[in-house]
Amino acid sequence: MPTVIIDGHSVEVERGATVLDAAKKAGIWIPTLCYHPALSSEALCRLCMVELDRGDWRQLVTACNYPVRQDIVVYIESECARQARCGVMELLLARSPDSQELKELAERMGVKETRWPKVTESQRNCILCGLCVRVCEQIIGKSAIGFAGRGADRTVAAPFREPSQDCIGCGACAAVCPVGTIKVRIHHDECEVEISPFKSRAKLLVCKQCGSPILSAQLCEQAVGWALAHLPHPKKAVGQAPPYWPEFRKRLRLCPKCRKLQTVEGLGVAKVRIQETGDRR
Amino acid sequence: MTVLASKRLSSFSDLQRMREELLSLRVPSGRSIHVCIGPGCVAKGAPKLYDLFCAAVKQSQADVQVQAKAVGCHGLCASGPIVLVQPGDIFYQQVEEPDVAEIFRETVLGGRVVPRLLYQDPQTGKKFEAAEEIPFYKVQQRIVLSQNGRIDPTKITDYIAEGGYSALVKVLTPACAGASLPLRQQGMTPEEVIAEVEVAGLRGRGGGGFPTARKWRSCRQAEGAPKYVIGNGDEGDPGAFMDRAVMEGNPHSIIEGMLIGAYAIGSSQGYIYVRNEYPLSVERLKEAIEQAKQLGLVGQNVLGTSFSFDIRINRGGGAFVCGESTALMASLEGRTGEPRAKYVHTVESGLWGKPTNLNNVETWATVPHIINRGGKWFAGIGTEKSKGTKIFSLVGKIANSGLVEVPMGITLRRIIYEIGGGIRDGKKFKAVQTGGPSGGCIPAEHLDARVDYEELTKLGSMMGSGGLIVMDEDTCMVNVARYFTDFLLAESCGKCTPCREGLAQMRHILQGITKGDGQVGDIEKLNDLAEILSGTALCALGATAANPVLSTIRYFRDEYDAHILDRRCPAKECRGLFIYQIDAEACKGCGICLKNCPVDAITGERKSPHVIDQQKCTRCGTCWEKCPFTAVLKV
Amino acid sequence: MSQGSSLIEQIVDRYDRDVGMLIPMMQDLQAECGYLPGDGLRALAKRLDVPLTRLYAVATFYASFRLAPKGAHEVTLCMGTVCYLKGSPRISQAISNEFKVAPGGTTRDGLFTFQVVNCMGACAVAPVMVVDGKYYDGVSPASALEVLYELAANETVADKEAEP
Repeated sequence: MPTVIIDGHSVEVERGATVLDAAKKAGIWIPTLCYHPALSSEALCRLCMVELDRGDWRQLVTACNYPVRQDIVVYIESECARQARCGVMELLLARSPDSQELKELAERMGVKETRWPKVTESQRNCILCGLCVRVCEQIIGKSAIGFAGRGADRTVAAPFREPSQDCIGCGACAAVCPVGTIKVRIHHDECEVEISPFKSRAKLLVCKQCGSPILSAQLCEQAVGWALAHLPHPKKAVGQAPPYWPEFRKRLRLCPKCRKLQTVEGLGVAKVRIQETGDRR
Repeated sequence: MTVLASKRLSSFSDLQRMREELLSLRVPSGRSIHVCIGPGCVAKGAPKLYDLFCAAVKQSQADVQVQAKAVGCHGLCASGPIVLVQPGDIFYQQVEEPDVAEIFRETVLGGRVVPRLLYQDPQTGKKFEAAEEIPFYKVQQRIVLSQNGRIDPTKITDYIAEGGYSALVKVLTPACAGASLPLRQQGMTPEEVIAEVEVAGLRGRGGGGFPTARKWRSCRQAEGAPKYVIGNGDEGDPGAFMDRAVMEGNPHSIIEGMLIGAYAIGSSQGYIYVRNEYPLSVERLKEAIEQAKQLGLVGQNVLGTSFSFDIRINRGGGAFVCGESTALMASLEGRTGEPRAKYVHTVESGLWGKPTNLNNVETWATVPHIINRGGKWFAGIGTEKSKGTKIFSLVGKIANSGLVEVPMGITLRRIIYEIGGGIRDGKKFKAVQTGGPSGGCIPAEHLDARVDYEELTKLGSMMGSGGLIVMDEDTCMVNVARYFTDFLLAESCGKCTPCREGLAQMRHILQGITKGDGQVGDIEKLNDLAEILSGTALCALGATAANPVLSTIRYFRDEYDAHILDRRCPAKECRGLFIYQIDAEACKGCGICLKNCPVDAITGERKSPHVIDQQKCTRCGTCWEKCPFTAVLKV
Repeated sequence: MSQGSSLIEQIVDRYDRDVGMLIPMMQDLQAECGYLPGDGLRALAKRLDVPLTRLYAVATFYASFRLAPKGAHEVTLCMGTVCYLKGSPRISQAISNEFKVAPGGTTRDGLFTFQVVNCMGACAVAPVMVVDGKYYDGVSPASALEVLYELAANETVADKEAEP
């Protein structure tokens, strides 16, 4: 197991682990923006710059994806590494001046302000870290949004900049966005989940019993399609639906709690007990 | 001839026999007309000339064997269209359609030159007959370009007749060679091939200058299969067209080089990635591969051996960044051309995550020469660390613009003055930009610098792919910096913060300076941005993006100061930062400027010197453009 | 797009469904339709089992792809270093002013699509303009406009000839 010496602290890591992994193990903080433990590391924000000791010179590398394959020495708090990180943060602050999260991160790094004017357009402070794109692709598997354009015109968008037909309204993109660009809004009256700024609207199905939202219509369709294709049953060969199909579809339209209640009622026992305690939930 | 070209060669002796047959068909007393169809000459109408010559050959009643050939770029593009007549290598320049009949009658059939079409040295006025006598060619050492101008790139038979694919044979021949082959062709193991390239000291010709043998060896030793070899024909540097000349003028030299490299590395699949803006290169390469396949030189069991190698051509989609190796590979995988980190090298994990060896097409085209004549021969040319020759595109404000191939170590002065014929229109040399957008501008004080990888880097520029853009006294160096910054920002993939945001900030500052809104402190800001870019950018595009700015600040600081402090452009290029004045002595009072001025800022009587009212003048430059007596001056 | 799905199938089969050849596939689609139609891209994404976002990313990343139909003619002006130094910005300005079209756009009447590229490799004869594949070397604002006026004139003649 190779050893990483970070600012004097020595720590052992598995071969192939990153410098960031080593720093975490040593309890040393390195600022990151486009890094997420559940997603691939693209090292594109360039915030996690650290210096790698090369003997007679030092190389600036990104901690989140530099693979440790032998014993190395790394400097996080060297003048050069600090300046590199602060330089990048200043450029980000110029691009996205209104993100509270970004300002807080900058503060923590010791960057109070930026000397650069705003010269690029950012979609509601988006820093193009790509976490939303990656989570939708790698975890959710829908790839409803992606990068579009090139250079300073690069943005994150749904194809043709129209509301995505693949978005299931899960909100994972909003959950991983580090700068507060993506917002999820539930429109109860229209039964829709809106993900902005992508203009995506996912139709929500509500529980037939209690009316609370359950899942997006799209996901429901997908579940039904998957079930038909994969669940074995005697009538499959002739292209007919399985015998339990009507029951299955009915239960699909209930929220988990109502579904549980229905099962319990079906057993015919607990209904009385629940009514006694008055506690239905 | 065509009968020969379609019969598959299944052994080395087959190839040797074919070559001998082709050579036997050549008549020593025969005459040959070579019409250049390189990009510059095509733009000036060369294809029509070729057609006319072909017609003349067909109709000729003379008893002498004549043929007309369309050949690849000769390099002296400024003199195009170029026509060479053999024997004698008679060089005709700026040939037009009416000249065809005369050339055919006088030179081809009659053996007499047509003096008015000969090349004339712009400085001495001397005329030259044979191409090799012309200083432009005499000072060069054409190796990779040696066959351009002699072979028809659309005929594999030409390449074979000239000795093509003999390097491949040399490499593939097993130790127990047949009696028909010379003793020296004993075959080479992959390690021997790499060793030969190592002795040669060949370094990547695409710009990186990485030792080629080292790359091949790393790829050979890497774990994983299959292994890929790639020919980078993306040539994105504006001003560079050497790769184009090789791809279109001698495509087989690239194919042969890749075959040899693939053998050395252990690859059986190659790609040539050609930029979208070169459709003709794509066509030529496709044609060449098809012909090579037919003869069994590419594909399964090359020349009857157990070595198989296939090549596929891919077109780019229009992105300069795809010249970067990882971006190119992303493009080959059907994705956007975004570079990725190279902490794990592409020779270990490249295309589809497999060991991949990428080299520029010029590098590949050099390989057959090294194998044929030996690594030691190649290493005997050039400097200590930069061996061999390099093709440069010598363009801009130069008299003889075109492609030149020179030994490493030659001075910039020799290239620009002896080969290039000096600055056009009697102007003064100011700087030469080398290395494309990743390079820098080198001023007159360094004209005696020897051209090699290390020397150019020391001067704040780099070799790059080989563009040499010559600039004169009328070029504003701040505007040059702004131009390159604009270019890079437009071509940046936009993935990483420093390149995307940093270049946008640099452009903002440079635009301000060229518009007269520069502030004290702008230069320090540019330097700071340059440092952030070089230290933190994800790929070489971003990391070297500040070079044009840094080198112009280094050598032309006075121009920056003039723009910022005096709101003045010394080269008189930046609109608004210089004024137009009418030279009273040259002005004939014709009134054309007055009539055309959009803001009526000019006054004057007919036949009397006119005057520009500087308060009204918007510096549009219309009067300067329209004046037939060059009486409007930029001050 | 009635012939849409069969065209897509043809294209995909041409490259053995190799996703690595996505860019050549999209180039073939654009060559056939003059631009990249949305339906075509959707069909291609489905056929290759690749997310539509990937195709959209590729279509908007590479300069040669168009998502809107182009004009009857294709006018490309080189803005490489040498052409730039020799005045192609003025030529670009002249074309934009005269025909009211910005680089990358198409004239209102669909006469031509105007593109600006970074270097076509014919630097020795700069400035270079290409119209429908035909090269014009050493152009000036005046000569470039001349060429385009002729395009317009030919179109009018063609229209007149087409009239009953």
